[in-house]
Amino acid sequence: MTASVTPLPSPTGLVEGYIQQLGNGVPARFDTMLDRQGGLRPGWQDLLNCLDALGEPGRLQQQEEINGLLAENGVIFNMHDDAQRRAWRLDPLPWVIDQSRWHALEAGLAQRTRLFNALYRDIYGPRTLFDEGLLPTQALLASPNFLLPCHGAQPREHTPINYHGVDVILDAEGHWRAIGDRLQTPSGTGFALENRILMARALPQMYRNAPLKRLASFLDTHHRTLTLLAYQHRDNPTVVLLTPGPQSPRYFEHAYLANYLNLTLAEGSDMVARDGQLWLRTLGGLKPVDVVLRHCADADCDPLELKADSALGVPGLLQTARTGGVALSNALGVGVLENAALADFLPALCERLLNEPLLLPAAKPTTLSATLPMFDETLARLTPATFNLRCFVARSSRRAGPSASDDVVVMPGGLCWQGAPGSPSLASPVVKDVWVTASTAQPHISQLKQARGPIVVTRDGEDLPSRVAESLFWLGRYGERLDSRARLLREALLRLMEYDQDEIADQVLDELLLALDIGACETPGDRTPPTGFSAKRCALLAQFDAADPQALQPLFAQLLRNARSVRDHLGDDSWRLVHQLRQQFDTLSPTLAPGGARRACEAVFAQLAAFFGLCNETMPHHYGWRFMEIGRLLDRTLGLLALLKLTLGARFERRAALWEVVLATTDNFTAYRRRYRSELHPAAIIDLLLFDETNPRSVGYLLRRINQQVERLPGSNMPYRNAERRLLIQASAALHLADIERLSQLNDTQEADDALIQLLDALITPLGALSEAIGQSHFSHVERPRQLVSMEPDE
Amino acid sequence: MKYTLRHTTRYHYAAPVTLCHSEARVLPRKTPHQECGASSLSIAPLPHHQAERRDVFGNRVLYFALEEVHRTLDVTVTTPLNTRALDALPERSAAWERIAARLEADSRFETQLYRLDSPFIRRSDELAAFARRCFTPRRPLIEAALALNAHVHEHFEYDPSFTTLATPLSEVLANRRGVCQDFAHLMIGALRSIGLSARYVSGYLETEPPPGQPRLVGADASHAWLALWVPDWGWLALDPTNGTLAGERHPVLAWGRDYFDVAPLKGVMNGGGHHRLEVEVDVVPLAAPGTT
Repeated sequence: MTASVTPLPSPTGLVEGYIQQLGNGVPARFDTMLDRQGGLRPGWQDLLNCLDALGEPGRLQQQEEINGLLAENGVIFNMHDDAQRRAWRLDPLPWVIDQSRWHALEAGLAQRTRLFNALYRDIYGPRTLFDEGLLPTQALLASPNFLLPCHGAQPREHTPINYHGVDVILDAEGHWRAIGDRLQTPSGTGFALENRILMARALPQMYRNAPLKRLASFLDTHHRTLTLLAYQHRDNPTVVLLTPGPQSPRYFEHAYLANYLNLTLAEGSDMVARDGQLWLRTLGGLKPVDVVLRHCADADCDPLELKADSALGVPGLLQTARTGGVALSNALGVGVLENAALADFLPALCERLLNEPLLLPAAKPTTLSATLPMFDETLARLTPATFNLRCFVARSSRRAGPSASDDVVVMPGGLCWQGAPGSPSLASPVVKDVWVTASTAQPHISQLKQARGPIVVTRDGEDLPSRVAESLFWLGRYGERLDSRARLLREALLRLMEYDQDEIADQVLDELLLALDIGACETPGDRTPPTGFSAKRCALLAQFDAADPQALQPLFAQLLRNARSVRDHLGDDSWRLVHQLRQQFDTLSPTLAPGGARRACEAVFAQLAAFFGLCNETMPHHYGWRFMEIGRLLDRTLGLLALLKLTLGARFERRAALWEVVLATTDNFTAYRRRYRSELHPAAIIDLLLFDETNPRSVGYLLRRINQQVERLPGSNMPYRNAERRLLIQASAALHLADIERLSQLNDTQEADDALIQLLDALITPLGALSEAIGQSHFSHVERPRQLVSMEPDE
Repeated sequence: MKYTLRHTTRYHYAAPVTLCHSEARVLPRKTPHQECGASSLSIAPLPHHQAERRDVFGNRVLYFALEEVHRTLDVTVTTPLNTRALDALPERSAAWERIAARLEADSRFETQLYRLDSPFIRRSDELAAFARRCFTPRRPLIEAALALNAHVHEHFEYDPSFTTLATPLSEVLANRRGVCQDFAHLMIGALRSIGLSARYVSGYLETEPPPGQPRLVGADASHAWLALWVPDWGWLALDPTNGTLAGERHPVLAWGRDYFDVAPLKGVMNGGGHHRLEVEVDVVPLAAPGTT
């Protein structure tokens, strides 16, 4: 008896409490931390010592740290609606699985993946297992995941399953039992990685030298195997991760994984099947795609042969895969293997297909889970709970082509969530990191992979999907629009606070309301400016009401939508700022006092500036960044021109007040005062805002910047000038050829006024058309493909 | 019988189509009663890419992609083929309930494939009750099936104006009218609802011109019927629209669980707007009596 030879380690305070909860000091059923005698199992002692030493306050502090990281990173955690708050917590105590128990699981998982590969090959191939009575024919045929068009669709030399998620539990006797399989969209990998990273950051003392298996090399193997699936371009294949898009609750995980594995994140509409090959629509034209890592459900992947009304897939994808024009991981149709009816047939199938007994049997509805300690919410004590574990198996291939083997590796860890066996992970209140013990401390492996072949340097970013370029362009435009509106609002609120009585009519405020196109709140839709202090106050504060279509929130929602769809192109720090902006917007409401509303506006444009500043500093200055810059600069120019036009259109006696607003909202007040003291010379303002190319807020400067960026877009080295460059030349010419002499008599003559309005129009017209021209040249306006014949069966 | 089949499907689009992926099931398959010569196929505009394969039902599927801007699509197939008379029906068959019970326990893929629900055909108590008009207790399978076939022919009206592809079977049953596709679906649904296995067959039917008049080109029609699985014998092909067996004069194109699996032309395209469809079918008997 080992227990009699080795003295039991002295239980820590936490363990004593836990033992009491189990009753009698001995676990009634298998416990993952305590053995039958109530002693600690291997691997737990150091961890518990560490958590015990922290004490309750220390643990609470760590928990706060984790929560902070979770909220700020929001990498994959704000999975659902952005408004929905995270409802679960990450337990500071990991699940420690010792090597021998892990090896048993690992062998069972590896066998399961081999078995499922063999099953797939028969079900979508010769179908002999049906005739032999070894499969639940009726249940499989009734399943919507049994896709008849996939019959014979996987080229023979390809292994159908490259990535396999298996949900397991440890039962009350300490044996592993399978609950279900994830094959179509094996989600959770990013989640498991993130749990590990967050825990390691929050509890570095516990993680740094712990003898546990690291996760990085598993993903490295997965990535290598994916690239080896390519039929062509084997030195540098293009591998994309196919996501359903930002509407998917798993979208952030997809973006995270794509970045981690260094794959292009693509939606179905980013790709097209042509000439028997799959292509990605990029800024540089169509680029061949060699391998698709699918995170779209099987049936959604091809509206031609599978679900006809799916907008997520690529028409012709299945046929392209069938004839070797692209490799898919996993093969289409694997969903049929997720069928629960298979469970009872697996033991016989394993004997028949592999000549081995099944190592990982299924849990039965009556199977009890082993207990696992977890902290209660106050982090004061450990309580017994039951957990599910999702494990991941990846095919491990070192050679491409027909000789590729079905060898697999298992991720030494996984996604672990509290709940009864088989309960869904997304609804769980508590998740845990999973430790697989190693005999020695494991080295940290960098996320940057060791080079294995000649490097292909890509600098220009021409392979950027055009959808991403479009989203970045609009991210820039909405960011700028939000900024200028917040600035105008701030000005208006300042005036409101200064003249808080009805008697003093503030003309500037009236003009601002006009500039903001704000009508009285009691007559929605009517855009005549409100009169009277309380009406103005109400109208201004309505701009903070999310329900008002003119308010700031809808603009921000557009910004957020575009930012989300380029999540994989924004750095984590930039994303954190987007998240902070979102929190800022959550606090906006029409019940704010004017002072609070003003501060909120200031916070918004400060955070926007920080966000775009950080993007400037961290994003590679490739095409993607250029499109974002053009979007910002263009919107800023158009906003300024509109404001100038409004000023000139106003009645003469109101103009003085408006000039002041123009200077304030463009942040030019200081620059102007330094030059001209406080005297109001409209001609000087016009010079500062239109012609002065040293002023970063002048139209002249902005045009020059836009021009610089547009000149560097793909296709600009053509012998002829494209539409957007012609428009820019038109605008620049109007500005450079303006008769400054005549304009300098502004305010003095009607003639000067007319000339200026003419000039503004000559700028607004080409610049207004620029956005459309850029879209035409660079963004693929993909129409949603339609069915030739509608085959809508009766429902 | 020797025939030359010509089948044209033509789409006219209101707006240009820029890209179209299509699947055509217009190449007739070989069957135990039918030999097919080489088909001549013409697709206009010329596809960039095309490939032929067999689907899970054994039908010939032609995939093609049109990558040039086009406003009309024309797919024409001409196939010489030779049909033979059906084998004689077995003299006796077991009671249908015994066969249904046997099929329930049969795990073979083919048996269950044509026995369960399919995209256009859901089994129901209503359909089962309809079947039992002819499938009376312990009646031999073939006798009952022929009776149901005759019943549909006698009591249902052929009315192309009444149904569309989306008309549910319950409506066909309630109104007792429809077209060949509805009658085939109805009978398959009835047979499956009492536990039997039946499949949908698409093909053609030679039409006789009125006496003394020449055959009109393109006047023949696509046709549809069904086949019932008779264990230890084979598939019994029934044409409820005409109340006959489907034999020598019924050249076969394809089969599946229902119309969904055998639609002659499916496609996904960009652009196109509204479209107009023309179908022309000719079933020309090569040595037909009385046409010299």
